[in-house]
Amino acid sequence: MAQGYSVFIGLVIVAAMCVAAWFLSPKGENQTTWRSSLIIAFISCYLMWFVTFMAQLHPLIEPRRSDVRAEFAHE
Amino acid sequence: MAPSKTSMFRSADMSMVQLYISNEIGREVVNALGELGLVQFRDLNGDTSAFQRTFTQEIRRLDNVERQLRYFYGQMEKANIPLRKMDLDVDSLAPPTTNEIDELADRSQGLETRVHDLNESYETLKRREVELTEWRWVLREAGGFFDRAHGNVEEIRASTEDDDAPLLQDVEQHHSAPDVERSFSGMNIGFVAGVISRDRVAAFERILWRTLRGNLYMNQSEIPDALVDPTTNEAVNKNVFVIFAHGKEILAKIRKISESMGAEIYNVDENSDLRRDQIHEVNARLNDVQNVLRNTQQTLEAELTQIGQSLSAWMVLITKEKAAYQTLNLFSFDRQRRTLIAEGWCPTNDLALIRTTLQDVTNRAGLSVPSIINEIRTNKTPPTYLKTNKFTEAFQTIINAYGTATYQEVNPALPAIVTFPFLFAVMFGDLGHAIIMLCASLAMIYWERPLKKVTFELFAMIYYGRYIALVMAIFSVYTGLMYNDAFSKSLTLFDSQWEWKVPDGWKEGQALTGQLKSSYRYPFGLDWRWHGTENDLLFTNSYKMKMSIILGWAHMTYSLCFSYLNARHFKKPIDIWGNFIPGMIFFQSIFGYLVVCIIYKWSVDWNAIGKNPPGLLNMLIYMFLQPGELDEELYPGQAPLQVFLLLLAVVQVPILLFLKPFYLRWEHNRARAKGYHGIGENSRVSALDDEDENGHAGANGRPSGESDGGEGVTMIAQDHDDDDEGHGEFEFSEVMIHQVIHTIEFCLNCVSHTASYLRLWALSLAHQQLSVVLWDMTLGGTINKTGVIGVIMIVIGFYLWFFLSCAVLIAMEGCSAMLHSLRLQWVEAQSKYAEFAGHMFTPLSYATMLEEDEGLTDFRG
Repeated sequence: MAQGYSVFIGLVIVAAMCVAAWFLSPKGENQTTWRSSLIIAFISCYLMWFVTFMAQLHPLIEPRRSDVRAEFAHE
Repeated sequence: MAPSKTSMFRSADMSMVQLYISNEIGREVVNALGELGLVQFRDLNGDTSAFQRTFTQEIRRLDNVERQLRYFYGQMEKANIPLRKMDLDVDSLAPPTTNEIDELADRSQGLETRVHDLNESYETLKRREVELTEWRWVLREAGGFFDRAHGNVEEIRASTEDDDAPLLQDVEQHHSAPDVERSFSGMNIGFVAGVISRDRVAAFERILWRTLRGNLYMNQSEIPDALVDPTTNEAVNKNVFVIFAHGKEILAKIRKISESMGAEIYNVDENSDLRRDQIHEVNARLNDVQNVLRNTQQTLEAELTQIGQSLSAWMVLITKEKAAYQTLNLFSFDRQRRTLIAEGWCPTNDLALIRTTLQDVTNRAGLSVPSIINEIRTNKTPPTYLKTNKFTEAFQTIINAYGTATYQEVNPALPAIVTFPFLFAVMFGDLGHAIIMLCASLAMIYWERPLKKVTFELFAMIYYGRYIALVMAIFSVYTGLMYNDAFSKSLTLFDSQWEWKVPDGWKEGQALTGQLKSSYRYPFGLDWRWHGTENDLLFTNSYKMKMSIILGWAHMTYSLCFSYLNARHFKKPIDIWGNFIPGMIFFQSIFGYLVVCIIYKWSVDWNAIGKNPPGLLNMLIYMFLQPGELDEELYPGQAPLQVFLLLLAVVQVPILLFLKPFYLRWEHNRARAKGYHGIGENSRVSALDDEDENGHAGANGRPSGESDGGEGVTMIAQDHDDDDEGHGEFEFSEVMIHQVIHTIEFCLNCVSHTASYLRLWALSLAHQQLSVVLWDMTLGGTINKTGVIGVIMIVIGFYLWFFLSCAVLIAMEGCSAMLHSLRLQWVEAQSKYAEFAGHMFTPLSYATMLEEDEGLTDFRG
């Protein structure tokens, strides 16, 4: 479902959203505000998701805990 | 982004305009423009003092009316009469006509006299009432003394007059009662009766005792009710005293002392019948006085209540009128004193609106002389006008709190709408807390109108930032999902990418490590399997630190790009070549490279290729300390590339240092060589449509030849409020020093600002750990208790946890995250491009004036 190439899919989606935000922003005095805010918001959110995803793509350490109950160990 | 359109990106284009207004409608024009709120007038009479100006007389008169209105308000407060407040959002008062103002002035004059009279007679009556009341008390109390004293009079007499009188005579004397009445005067004992305030009694007694050497008999009793002093309106506790003494002189002395001690002396008759009459009389008079008093008070209250209905409106009218005259005082006259000339700044886009407003006023007044508005060209720096709406207002305010952007430079508030709340959310990320915050901000927006009236300061502040809170909460929901944290617990929205590697013979309590299931990766946010593990922090710290660096790099690169836009807009290509490009290369070759390395390191499956991943921090440090040498290679060809990048960065420093100053010097010398000289120190202005120069009428369509015999070509009052001094001479040393400072600052800031973004990691770590601790200390500890005690403990634990969550984690932590985000916005981002050398556009606007006037606070609803 989510593999390494997902970041590019995400990028395409976010790019599409940015384009949509550029063209669909309501006209008038606040158009610039709408465009800038939406696009920066999309890019910021993508950046954070991208970082989170990439950090887990090839993890260097594994989770370790000693309080796992037997029922959940094989989940 | 067409430059002429008003947008939030830059401050609006401003024009300096000159207005020629017929003298008769000056007031109306100012009122209309004040309602419009788009013109900032310049002071054209800077060299005349406030007292010499044209409309000082009118302002004085209005000041007097204002004083009268305040007097009414004071009276109303004294009488506890409610004031009908003005709701400025609902009622908007049209600017008053001169007649209305005159009427109002007359009326308030009349009302003042009336209220004053009523007050005076009320005070007199009140004083009378107090006197009568005191007298009544004296009569009553003194009567008591007398009655008691009369019982003993014979004893007294016996002991004073007749030393050897037989004891039995006492009995006989009692039967001859009429004799008793005259007894005191017969004994030559006089008395003084009066009232004195209770706290002076002790001193009074002492003084009397000392001056009369003990030759007195003083009797006193307390008046149970406090008496109100009408002049000070204070309640005073008083005592009634009766002093008996021997001899006229002593009595006179007592009177004198009493008067000097502030006591009131009342006439009390010794004879009990007369005294009874006196009491009756006093009572009757007191009744009368009280009746009159009640009537007076009712009249006064009725009067004040009526005033209270419209006092706020009057106050608003007067404030507006005063502002109008104060503005008119800034205007200048033409030679015949028939036309007012005004100058001011207004947004270029709104010129048409201002023109039609002027036209309307002139037409309404039925004047044949048109009002003229004229755009003039000037080299003065226009004010910065950043138009806001309900949503952007608060964002703009936090930027303005730092400084006023230079005219037409990129407005830092525009990106701040997202970056400021987003960086906040990176630190605040917790789904649960974010949802509470979201609800609060939505509630504030839903009940916007009723909540606007709340005057409690702390709440008003939060209310003012409700839209910031909304955006912050929305982003916090997102970052909360990213961190997979809701009240320190995690959500299991998707399948984990980890499973436990369970060895044979594993028993509960032994450590388990996870292993990757397949190539599947947790799609959205942090894998919940990390939650509560022993090495959870090890992983999240590395992740959050790197994220901080990447977000900081993105934020700063983005901000740095604005400096390019600024340079292009102000047509200063040297700022692009001498500042922006070398700066950008410097920043990217160090920190851009670091970001690339971080992402590259993530993208490599180090276990699969069986290599050791190099530490990036050491890599960056050794890139400077021992260029060309590497402990562990991240990618082939790394060492030479790093040396190249380092050299590239180092080369930028001299470019940053020298290119701009030397270019400016060259440009200056070239201009000098061609014979141009610097523009004069004074601001020089010429009318835009000066016919001598252009030969064609300007786009303004200025009607020809009305009242401008040579006027209007130049600006009146050239040298007031000169804000752009130091424009004159080019001085190389100054430019050089400035550039050196800029270079050092920029290069050092690249490092320190990048490090500064690590606060994103630090605060989000603190927030998350704090919410874990809070959970464990309160609700988490009670949740597995059973029985009645368990129920009670859970309830207590829950409330403790919930309220501490709100108070500490949402309010306090939110506040701290906000301050840190504010710093990132103000310092780290804005220092890259914003100059902040502007001055704010402060138009004459009645709406803002009424809203902000301190004196009107009591009258606003």
